[in-house]
Amino acid sequence: MASETTNNSVYSGPAKVGWQWRKLTTPNWYVPLIGLIILLVLPVFITASYYRHVLILVFLYAAAGEAWNLIGGYGGQFSLGHAAFFGIGAYTSTILLNAWDVSPWISMFLGGLLAILMSLVIGLTCFRLRSHYFTIATIGFAEVLRLSALYFRGLTGGAQGMTIPYLGTAPAMYQFDSKVPYYYIILFFMLLTIYLTHKIRNSRLGFYLLALSQNQEAAQAVGVDVVQAKQLALSISAFLTALLGTFYAQYLYFIEPASVFSLDTSILMPLVSIIGGIATVLGPIVGAFLIIPVRELALNLLGSSFAGAHFIMYGAMLIIIILVRPAGIIGILSQGYRTVISKLPGGKEN
Amino acid sequence: MQWDILAQAIVNGILIGGVYSLASVGLNLIFGVVKIVNFAHGEFIMLGMYITYWSWALFGIDPLLSLVITMPLMFLFGVIVQRFLFQPILKAPELAQIFMTIGLQILLQNLALAIFSANYRSIPTAYGAIAYHLGPIVISAPRLFAFIISVVLSAALGFLLLGTDLGKAMRAAAQDREVAELMGINQNYIFLIAVGLAAALAGAAGTVVMPFFYAYPTAGIAFGLKSFVVAIAGGLGSVRGAFIMGLILGAAESLGVQYVGADAGMLVAFIILLVVLVLRPQGIFAGGRL
Repeated sequence: MASETTNNSVYSGPAKVGWQWRKLTTPNWYVPLIGLIILLVLPVFITASYYRHVLILVFLYAAAGEAWNLIGGYGGQFSLGHAAFFGIGAYTSTILLNAWDVSPWISMFLGGLLAILMSLVIGLTCFRLRSHYFTIATIGFAEVLRLSALYFRGLTGGAQGMTIPYLGTAPAMYQFDSKVPYYYIILFFMLLTIYLTHKIRNSRLGFYLLALSQNQEAAQAVGVDVVQAKQLALSISAFLTALLGTFYAQYLYFIEPASVFSLDTSILMPLVSIIGGIATVLGPIVGAFLIIPVRELALNLLGSSFAGAHFIMYGAMLIIIILVRPAGIIGILSQGYRTVISKLPGGKEN
Repeated sequence: MQWDILAQAIVNGILIGGVYSLASVGLNLIFGVVKIVNFAHGEFIMLGMYITYWSWALFGIDPLLSLVITMPLMFLFGVIVQRFLFQPILKAPELAQIFMTIGLQILLQNLALAIFSANYRSIPTAYGAIAYHLGPIVISAPRLFAFIISVVLSAALGFLLLGTDLGKAMRAAAQDREVAELMGINQNYIFLIAVGLAAALAGAAGTVVMPFFYAYPTAGIAFGLKSFVVAIAGGLGSVRGAFIMGLILGAAESLGVQYVGADAGMLVAFIILLVVLVLRPQGIFAGGRL
């Protein structure tokens, strides 16, 4: 992405509109655009409901990983408690839907606000903790919420969870009969998180986060309000994660503490980031495209062979990737990507 | 309030708390010396349970006697984990280290599921139903034995750390790796011993609970999480803090179950964790020493 300016400097003379169009003839622009178009038309070609489902999960966890990456990657605060926000989003919209028929399109923002409130509580108590203490404290918060959701049965249905009444296709109530609308909604969310991450990375907040994640004392010494920057990143991250929690509830029609508040959910968000490449804009996307299909397909193929087979593969894959490339695999991919791009028409070598 | 019920709950809690202590001192040993937070620690405990179970099922060995099998086997297991999984990532980013241990946790849990199935396995013993009466308080024999063995093993670790050259080398490596290296301490060797010992202690914790608990593939999760609470609240890296905090957590949890509800045990544990972190982030007994 950084090379685009040098690429276009030759065309800096002509009128602005012409310059905009020129951009599209360089591979740095048309390759992602082609990728986007492929994602947009994919449901036309992939008609099997199961594969659509896998893609929806990929986008969901890509978006969630992207949201986590804001505070966990750029901010360097390794939260393992993001299920707290995810679950708040899922439960807020579902409780309001079941009690007062509030449309999830509205209540998802309320869930987002509650998640921000939760992020303030976590921020106030945990941001002065260092590395491992912070990580384990965030697990503590998510676990307290999970156990509370089990305990306050009257509100949450306890361990039995909550179901969302099926209405068929009811767009106003965030319900659709087909998987296609869900596909586009979650694709939109994924693109939104990519866009926001890209924006934030190049903003003042992004530079503050970069500085404080490398050396907190030094960042403080040059006048960065460390606590405020971390809090802002965590709150944005929490808000986005809660919106995804509402999506999850509306898509699966069923939530329970063991799914939305689970440690497994908390683990999956940083997992896609670290597999893809932590603190990079596209890392979580790459990670989700690698991890989620393997997880789902292994469950489908191996699930019946013997108990635990797919998780054995999943755990082994995790260990091997970390042994081979602890920094994630986006490094290799982006190198290959750059080589390919430079050879495409309009690339540097042409 | 009935005082005998209160006293009974506290005694029960302290007895199981001894096992939490034993599990947590190992977790703290790994963190203190190798600087890795071991999310698979609960699974080390689970392995100890299964070794004990199979020693009994196949060879008829009494669960408490099987300590002499569990501890060496788990020591070896810990050495292998350190050599092939932890050592290559000692300088990797913290999050990569965390995910290595999470990967190991997922792997061990599901290997256990695949090999041993999801069945709950328990061992009937001659002393399983014996109880001692101390005034109005009833002390169950297997829990008392578990407590005594846990305290003895924790104390043995304390003696090893304070009274031997090996322990001194470990404490030195915990405080400053580079200086320790300069003093001629072979780091990698010390790390192997530390993780081996921690795994052996975790395995022992799994063994001593078998006369009154079940082995199943996810049995380690609750123990692992509680070890975390104990280790953090006691002061991460402080073996002494972990020991005392284990007893406190056991008692608090037992009171929660007695007076709030059956599923309040974990909730109490995590609330303690959060309160300690807010009031005293470095842990109650933190002195920076092992």
